[in-house]
Amino acid sequence: MSTHAETTSPARRSDPGWAWAPYQPDAERPWNLARAGHLLRRAGFGGDWRQLQQALADGPSRSVDRLLRPEADVAEFIRTYDEYEMSLSRSESIDALQAWWLRRMIQSPHPLLEKMTVHWHGHFATGNVKVKSSELMRKHMQRLRQAALGNYAELVAGISHDPAVLLWLGADENRKSRPSEPYARQFLQWCGLGDEEMSQRDIREVARAFTGWVVLRNEIRFIEREHDAGVKQFLGRQGPFRGDDVVRIALAHQAAPRAVVRKVYRWFVSETDEPGDPLLAPLVEAFAKDYDIGRLVETMLRSNLFFSPAAYRRRVKSPIEFALGIIRPLEKLVPTVPLGGDLAELGQDLGNPPTANGWEGGPYWINQATLLGRDRLAAALLSGSGPYADALDPATVARNHGKTDPAQARQFLLELFLQNDIAGHVRDRLIKLGDTAGGDPAQSLRRFAHAIVVQPEFQLA
Amino acid sequence: MSQTRRQFLQSALGTSTLLSLAPGIPLFLERTARAGAAKRTDGDTVLVMIELSGGNDGLNTLVPYTDDAYARSRPTIRLPENRLHKIGSDFGFHPQMQAFHRLYQEGHMSVVQGVGYPNTNGNHFEAMRDWHTAHPADTTCQTGWAGRAIDHAYSAERGNVIGLSVGPGSRPLALNAEKVPVLSLRSLDQWKLQPPAGDKGDAYRKQLEQLAEVPRSGDNTLLDYVRRTCSGAYADSRKVEAVAAEASGANYPPFQFAERLRAIAQLVRADCGVRIYFVELGGDGFGGFDNHANQIGNHDALLEQLSESLAAFVADLSRHNLLDRVLVSTFSEFGRTVKENGRRGTDHGAAAPMFLVGGRLKGGLVGERPNLTDLQNGGLKFHTDFRRVYATLLDRWLGFDSELALGQRFEPLDLLEG
Repeated sequence: MSTHAETTSPARRSDPGWAWAPYQPDAERPWNLARAGHLLRRAGFGGDWRQLQQALADGPSRSVDRLLRPEADVAEFIRTYDEYEMSLSRSESIDALQAWWLRRMIQSPHPLLEKMTVHWHGHFATGNVKVKSSELMRKHMQRLRQAALGNYAELVAGISHDPAVLLWLGADENRKSRPSEPYARQFLQWCGLGDEEMSQRDIREVARAFTGWVVLRNEIRFIEREHDAGVKQFLGRQGPFRGDDVVRIALAHQAAPRAVVRKVYRWFVSETDEPGDPLLAPLVEAFAKDYDIGRLVETMLRSNLFFSPAAYRRRVKSPIEFALGIIRPLEKLVPTVPLGGDLAELGQDLGNPPTANGWEGGPYWINQATLLGRDRLAAALLSGSGPYADALDPATVARNHGKTDPAQARQFLLELFLQNDIAGHVRDRLIKLGDTAGGDPAQSLRRFAHAIVVQPEFQLA
Repeated sequence: MSQTRRQFLQSALGTSTLLSLAPGIPLFLERTARAGAAKRTDGDTVLVMIELSGGNDGLNTLVPYTDDAYARSRPTIRLPENRLHKIGSDFGFHPQMQAFHRLYQEGHMSVVQGVGYPNTNGNHFEAMRDWHTAHPADTTCQTGWAGRAIDHAYSAERGNVIGLSVGPGSRPLALNAEKVPVLSLRSLDQWKLQPPAGDKGDAYRKQLEQLAEVPRSGDNTLLDYVRRTCSGAYADSRKVEAVAAEASGANYPPFQFAERLRAIAQLVRADCGVRIYFVELGGDGFGGFDNHANQIGNHDALLEQLSESLAAFVADLSRHNLLDRVLVSTFSEFGRTVKENGRRGTDHGAAAPMFLVGGRLKGGLVGERPNLTDLQNGGLKFHTDFRRVYATLLDRWLGFDSELALGQRFEPLDLLEG
C-alpha cells in the first residue's frame, strides 16, 4: 500500500481494541490508491476509475458510508431487475437466472449488497441440480438478497422454510414417520452447530421438530397431522418444539454468532490466518445482541485490521471477483450468459454449489487448470471479438479519462487494475512488455491489459 | 511427521521446524500438512475410470458359454460359442471384443467377477448415484468417492490438477469434491493458451512466462502459491502443446470415445500430474447400455467401441513406455437379468464384472464364478463389494488413503503386481 514496507506487529494485530477501532489515516498508514482499491474490491467487485478517484478524495470513512448506503436509488434498481427475472420461464435451466445475477453485479449501484448475497449463497449453499426450478431458485436468491445486510435471525428463519432449501436437502416430505435427519444436521451446521455442539440425539430431536413441512407443487405447506407435536429435548431445553423454536434456540447458542463472525471475517478480511477467539470476541458479542449483519460488516470495513497488511491481498479472488475485476473497471456490460458458463468452468457455477457447504475458495480456487482458464477468459474478454465481442476496450476507457499517449495509457491501466501496487522489478518488466508489443496501439493496449490481469497479484483480492 | 510433510513445510515456509512456526502457519497450509498431502512426483500412477452408462450386460460381455443356464435363459440373444473369443474353457469375450481378448492373453487385463453391493438398486439414477458416492445407504450424499480422495490429496505446494472429467457432459458426481473444483475437459485446447489479440508469434507469451518466474518479495504465502502455480501451468501448457503437435503414430478408431482416450494419453504423456480421469461411454438418456429390447446390435456396437478404443489407448501408452503407470477400470450401475425379457433384451439386474486394464496387473479372472441359477431379482448375486475394488484402486494403485475417501475400511483385492 505500498504495504510491503509497512509492518503491523502480530501483538497489535491480535489486540481487538486496536484491530476493530476505525482506521484513521496517518503518515505511517496514509489513505492512498492502494487502500481505496482494496476497499472497493472487498466491499464490491472492484472500482472503476471514477470510483477510485472518488474514494481517494472522500477518505475511508465517507467511502465506507457510500458503500453501505449508496446515494443512488437502489430500491428502484432492485425492482427493475426483479421484474426482469420474473419474466423468465419456469424452465429447469438456471442459465438465464445466472446471467441476470451477473448483470446485477456488473451494474448494481450497491455492489456490497450483491457481494453479501453471493456470500450467503455460498453459506446456505443450495443447488438447482436438485431443486430443478429456476423459479424457486429465483425466490431463494431474492430471500438472500433481502436479508443480505439485514437481520441474520430473520434470514435463518426464512431459510428454514424455503422450498428450494427443503428440495435441495431432500426434506420436501418431512413426515412425522420419517423425520429428515440429514436436513436437521445440515441446517444446524449452517447455524454454526456442528459435532462439537450437537449429539446424534439433538439432531434427531431437531428433525422431529421440523416435521410437518412439505413442498407441494413448489409451494411450502405445513400439514399439522404430519407434525410430531411431542416433547423434544434440544441443547438442554425441553418442550413441544417446532421449527421456529429450533431457530430461536440454535441462535441463542454461543457457537451461532461466532460462526457467522468467523465466516464474514474470512469473506472480508483474510483467508490466510485463522483469527483467535479473543480477536473476534467484541464482534461476536455485539452480533449476538441484535444479529445485525450490516453493522458487523460495517465494523469490519472501517477497521484498522481491514486496512492493514494482515488483510491486504490475503484473499484469493473467486472466479466472479476475477472476471468482474476486469469488467467493472472497463465500464461496459458484457454478455453474461457466456460469462456464467465460463465462470462455471473456473469452479464457480452460480446456483450450483458443489455441496451444501458452498465453495471452499481461498487457495482452492487456484490450480493449473483454473489459472489457464482465467488466462483464457481474460483473453476472451479483452480480445475485441468472440463471445464477448468488443464491449471492453481499454484504449477507449483510457482516452475517456484523458490518457491518450500509449505510455500514459499503460500507466493508467496499472493504476486501474493494480493501483500500481506491484513490486518494482515486476512492474518494470510488465511495462517493457507493453513497450515491445508494437502494432496497432489499441490492440497493444488490450494485450497489456491482459498481461496485467493474469499476474499473480491480480488473482488476489 | 513424514519426511515429505516436513520438506513441504520447509519449502513452503522457508523454516526448518514446524513447531517454531505453529501459531503463524496459514490455515490452508496447516490443513494441507495435516491431511498428509502427497507430494507430486514425476511418474505418478494414473487411474482412468470408464463409466458404461445404462447398466452393462456382463453376461454378454464375458460369456459363460459352458453354463447351460446361460443358453437356456437367453434363447434369442445368447452369443454362439463359435464366435466367442475364448479364454480358458469356460468363458469367452463377446465377438466384437477381439482386442479385449488380446489384452487379456497378454496379461494386461484383470476381470473382477460378480461385483455389486447389498440391496442393489434397480433404478438407474439411484444405482449410479450409489456407484458414484460409494455411500449406498446415504441418499443425500453430495460428494463422490474420487472427489473426496482429491480433497485429501490436494497439495498447496504445486497446485496441479488431481482429477478431471473428459468429455462433453457435466462433471460426474464421483468427482464432486467439497473443496477442490474439479473441471470437465471438453478439448485439449483448454490446456493451451490462447494468444490474446493480435499476438503474432510467441514473443508475448514468452515474456509472460518469464514474468511468472520472477519471485515476488514479501511474506505473502498466497501470492507465492499463485505465482508458482502459474509458472507450472505455463510450463505444462507448453508440454501439452508439444505432445499434441507430435506425430505420435497412435492409431485410434474413429469413435468420439476413442478421441477422449487419446486426449487422456496426451495428458499422461505431458505428465501434468493428473491422477484420476473419468470418461463415459454410452451416455445418452438413461445410457446406451440400457438395452431392454433388441439388445444385440446396439450392445455389439458399444462393446466394439470400448474394446477397440481401449486397445488403441494401451498401444499408444505402450509405445511411450507409459502403460506401467496407467490403470483403467470400467464400471456400470448394475448388470442385467440373466433371462432375456421377451423383447430380445434384458432388464435391470444386479452384479456384473468390472474390467481392469493396465501394465501392472496380475491378470486373469478374479473372484467367484457367478452362479446363474441363484439369483437376486433375476440378476446375479454379488460376491465382491464394489468398494473393495475402489479401495484397491485408491490404496494400492494411487497411494491415497481409501478409508478417508470411502469413510470406512474395505479390504483391497490382490490385483496388482508387487
